Amino acid sequence: MRDESFTERRTIRIVVNGVEAEREVGVRKLLADFIREDLSLTGTHLGCEHGVCGACTVILDGQSVRSCLMLAVQAEGCALETVEGLASDGKLSPLQEAFREEHALQCGFCTSGFLMTARELLKDEPNPDEQQVREVISGNLCRCTGYANIVSAIMRAAATRGVK
Amino acid sequence: MLAEQSDAKILAGGQSLMPMLNLRVAAPATLVDINRIAGLSFIEVDGGEIRIGALTRHRTLETAPEIRAALPILAQAAAEIGHVAIRNRGTIGGSLVHADPAAEWPLLAVLLDAKLVVRSTDGARTIAAPEFFSGPLTSAIEPDEILTEIRFPILPAATRFGFAEICRRRGDFAIVAVACAIGFDSRNHCVSAEISIGGANPTPMIAAAAGATLKSTNEANAIEAAAEMAAAAADPSSDIHASAEFRRRLVRVLTERALRQCFDTAQVEEALDA
Amino acid sequence: MAAVQIPAGTGKLVGARVRRVEDARVLLGKSQFVDDVRLPGTVSIAFVRSPYAHARILKIDTTAARANPGVLAVLTYEDLPELSRALRLEWDPAMPSAPHKLVEWPVLAHEKVRFVGEAVAAIVAEDRYLAEDAAELVEVDYDPLEAVADMERAIEPGAPLVHQEWGDNILQAAGAEFGPVASAFEAADVVISERFSTGRHAALPLEPRGCLASYEAAADLLTMWSSTQIPHILRTNLAAILGAAENRVRVIAPDVGGGFGLKAHVFPEDIVTALAARITGRPVKWIEDRRENLIASLHAKHQIVTASLALDRDGMILGLRARCLSDIGAYTEFPFSSGLEAGVAAAAMPGPYKIPAYQFEAISIATNKATVGAYRGVGMPIAVFVMERLIDIAARRLAIDPAELRMRNMIRREDHPYTNVVGFQIESGSHREALAKALEMLGYEEFRARQTALRSRGRYIGVGIASYIETTAPSTAGWMMLGMRMGGYETATVRVDRAGKVTVLVGTHSHGQSHRTTFAQIAADELGVSLDDVRIEFGDTAKVPYGWGTGGSRSAVVGGGATMKASAVMREKILRIASRATEIPTDHLELRDGAVARKSGGEAVMSLAEVARLAYLPPGGNFAGEQPGLEVAETYEPPLMTHANSTHIVTVEVDTGTGQVRLDRYIVVEDCGTMINPMVVDGQIQGGVAQGIGSAMLEQIVYDGDGQILTGTLMDYLAPTATDVPRVEIAHLESPSPYTLGGVKGMGEGGAIAPPGAIANAVADALAPLGARVDVNEIPLTPERVAATIAKTRNSK
Repeated sequence: MRDESFTERRTIRIVVNGVEAEREVGVRKLLADFIREDLSLTGTHLGCEHGVCGACTVILDGQSVRSCLMLAVQAEGCALETVEGLASDGKLSPLQEAFREEHALQCGFCTSGFLMTARELLKDEPNPDEQQVREVISGNLCRCTGYANIVSAIMRAAATRGVK
Repeated sequence: MLAEQSDAKILAGGQSLMPMLNLRVAAPATLVDINRIAGLSFIEVDGGEIRIGALTRHRTLETAPEIRAALPILAQAAAEIGHVAIRNRGTIGGSLVHADPAAEWPLLAVLLDAKLVVRSTDGARTIAAPEFFSGPLTSAIEPDEILTEIRFPILPAATRFGFAEICRRRGDFAIVAVACAIGFDSRNHCVSAEISIGGANPTPMIAAAAGATLKSTNEANAIEAAAEMAAAAADPSSDIHASAEFRRRLVRVLTERALRQCFDTAQVEEALDA
Repeated sequence: MAAVQIPAGTGKLVGARVRRVEDARVLLGKSQFVDDVRLPGTVSIAFVRSPYAHARILKIDTTAARANPGVLAVLTYEDLPELSRALRLEWDPAMPSAPHKLVEWPVLAHEKVRFVGEAVAAIVAEDRYLAEDAAELVEVDYDPLEAVADMERAIEPGAPLVHQEWGDNILQAAGAEFGPVASAFEAADVVISERFSTGRHAALPLEPRGCLASYEAAADLLTMWSSTQIPHILRTNLAAILGAAENRVRVIAPDVGGGFGLKAHVFPEDIVTALAARITGRPVKWIEDRRENLIASLHAKHQIVTASLALDRDGMILGLRARCLSDIGAYTEFPFSSGLEAGVAAAAMPGPYKIPAYQFEAISIATNKATVGAYRGVGMPIAVFVMERLIDIAARRLAIDPAELRMRNMIRREDHPYTNVVGFQIESGSHREALAKALEMLGYEEFRARQTALRSRGRYIGVGIASYIETTAPSTAGWMMLGMRMGGYETATVRVDRAGKVTVLVGTHSHGQSHRTTFAQIAADELGVSLDDVRIEFGDTAKVPYGWGTGGSRSAVVGGGATMKASAVMREKILRIASRATEIPTDHLELRDGAVARKSGGEAVMSLAEVARLAYLPPGGNFAGEQPGLEVAETYEPPLMTHANSTHIVTVEVDTGTGQVRLDRYIVVEDCGTMINPMVVDGQIQGGVAQGIGSAMLEQIVYDGDGQILTGTLMDYLAPTATDVPRVEIAHLESPSPYTLGGVKGMGEGGAIAPPGAIANAVADALAPLGARVDVNEIPLTPERVAATIAKTRNSK
């Protein structure tokens, strides 16, 4: 178990929030840790490392994934979107603005996971009803807000036709 | 590769395996990542059969129009698995090999008597679903084999499906799940009845005797009787979420509800639209 | 409800639903939680934890671990300086609480392990992956001992002892009697006696615990970034235990991802991480994983309460008795005492009711499980669960409507200030009004009619009420009454800089409570500036005045109060300076729109920046008797305790086939006095209710009979999700405190206090037609429990 495969490193190329990047990474490193450490994008958070809490959710090749359940090397050649990519030039996206307007965050630890989940939802379903929103976000845990304002924020973003 | 490495595991969707690695309850020396193998992800509707590649993602099966057209119960079950981010990566093959007795794919595979094709360097073999699951989290697959394809028979158009499960929260593993497929003749008599139960037995179970009592009958108390028989046939275990006794009770309640979906037309429409 | 925009400087920010200033940074992914802090050379620490609930440690062999790649150090108890080996809690005879046993919690296990997950050794390695690899190589020889995993068994004679030197398993036994209890019960027409049991819960903040310790040997300075709610308390205790001078220890609480009380404690891991930094000379980071958080941090709220309520035939309460057994696990929360749990439950039991006689026992019992500490509401949710169930059971027995029974017994508006049976002074409140409003929001009569109609169709819906008083923001003396060595004051330093911008430094800590916005609202109103011109600073002990952190729903009252006080004093100084400069009397002047202006909408006479110029560098160096500069520090301490009140009403439907309970409507009428920001208050209520729903229906830490923990992942410990928590319908009443600054009362814990009582009552109400006796006295209400209750109820006809 303690053999060389644990120290093997590979070079991966990945497009991060629209920008090409190349990094050398150990094969056992989780994608979540790679994002936070090697890409220095600490907006993605780890709440459980077993795929339940959703705090680590990012978008890979257009689909939401739990970055704690993937190895960094599996993202070779993929397009990665994290929370840092949502705003343009520091200006909050309509989805982010909606979160602010609706008081949809308190401590903020779960927020990036919800934003990425909501981003995918609004792409697939531009006009969800409240029940649909609740079902889709039921895979993300929040301990502070009790969810109501997050639902309102996503509905508001849908209503303003902002996807991002 | 699997044959060469003594301590290797296949990494498909990773939604079951990666938590185990992160929690350090599994520590294979080698992971064989099959996610980029061409030809392992496909959906083919071919005569009386749907053939699905083992690497096909739950999300694909949930949304594919050809699945909804040919065998909508598969789409309905796929939608119950976890959450979108999990369904985007998790695969039907991975779920079947993981063999959780409460999971949706093993339940449906057994219900529909699916055929599972596994390959090794020595060739391929086909295993019928009921023989594929040998115990909780244990399948008949050998360490040097890989599941490549699952074949579901397309049942006659007059078949009605029922599905009822209890989870503590949306997207959780079911405590108990019941799926049924009832075939009707032109006079609306039941001519075939398959009931499969998940979460109440070491493996997903066909309630054969219960199914048998339903044929050629439309009587209301036949449903209750079948539900009682299904409950009696189950061999549940206890865990922190539910005791064996409670699971047995849920088998009875859910079997009745799933069957009523089939025998009551209005409920069928509702169930399929859910 | 959404936020609103308020124009700058109108003095109307307090009371408005002002959008948060915290959010842009978070939304952009620029928060800085402990794990986001990057220091060059940082290494990671991981802990080897006991797999046994109770065992002797015979031998620890760290040879293989030390040799593993990337390992810098492996620490056991023996490697630690003697002074720093344990968290030691000794009873202080000066405290009014009952005596408790001496507790020593070794920061790394010494000779024995007493709960599954107890830290036995620590590995410091280049990264967490390597540290965990090496942790697996530490070989510990254990000699398993019989474990005691049940609190009732633990107090039976012959039970295994968690601490041999105690002689028994009782940390603390407290009790008191108020009024003529025995005669009250003798005179009663009805006595309800019940046994209640609550689950063991976990606070489960989304961000697990963590710290980053950096020791600069040359300067003899320890800096500790910590995901903590109590930066100064942590600093004081770190210094004491490490044998460091407190003025050479700095704690920085950066962004903290939720605390809920869990992070208002000092932990063994904090000590070991700090020691590791000293020993290795490298910054050492500890970030617990979720499994550790679930098995080895602190649990909460695990009690068995037997209680009796005595009433006359008109439903007037004559007396109350309660015996609270609290399962506190193997050690004690630190630096407070786990005796708090039972103590608070017992103290809170009377609730908003007039109770002539009350007798309680509060017994805190050690078991071979993880230790129990404070979590949102502490013992209050348990008290409310017990009392509100007793009332509903009494109502059924007496054939009096449960809402009506409450009305008859509640403290009335005109009774305030009302000294209750345990001696708490309830200064103001709207108990009956809140209940009436909640019933109106529900449409109580219509609900009962619908309930009857649905019953005839075999559907079972029910309504449950829970009313409570939330004790908040104790003063120092108030904390002592609760048995805690904790300050009840806060100091705020307000600075106006030379450009006229405002900074407020305060000793409370915000980890979701929106203080950067709410305290800025206060300061901005007091100083007549816009919200954008105020910056609130907290969390860094090197910068902010000594404070007692956030907990006990204290911050708005005490931190906000100190901010208000300091800002008001600053305002006076500014006006004095401006008055001298303009020769306009101070009582003709006010602060408005960033300037000094004539009152009643008169013109501005000097900008704040101009005043600042005079304060910092007056012409000729003539400060005219003022202290140079614009910096004011004021300390505020509220009166003994402040009491908010609330009624929750929930409606449910019970699936009698499966035992599942579906929540339909959830209504809260909340009275927390003056609200600084109603949007923030509503968010706290909604979030608290979610946690309360979790504790009522889903969440439970489970141990088996041998003390093995069975809920070590989020697949086992079930936190509520968006499909489990309805949107709470909220209405506010405002009974300001006559004593606090601004009339503010605390309310942060409230949402979590009532749901178990309300939901249990609703389920019992739904099932009432099935039998004479409905036992809904145990939470969480899992489908299996509810199904068992249904079966039992049917047999009780």
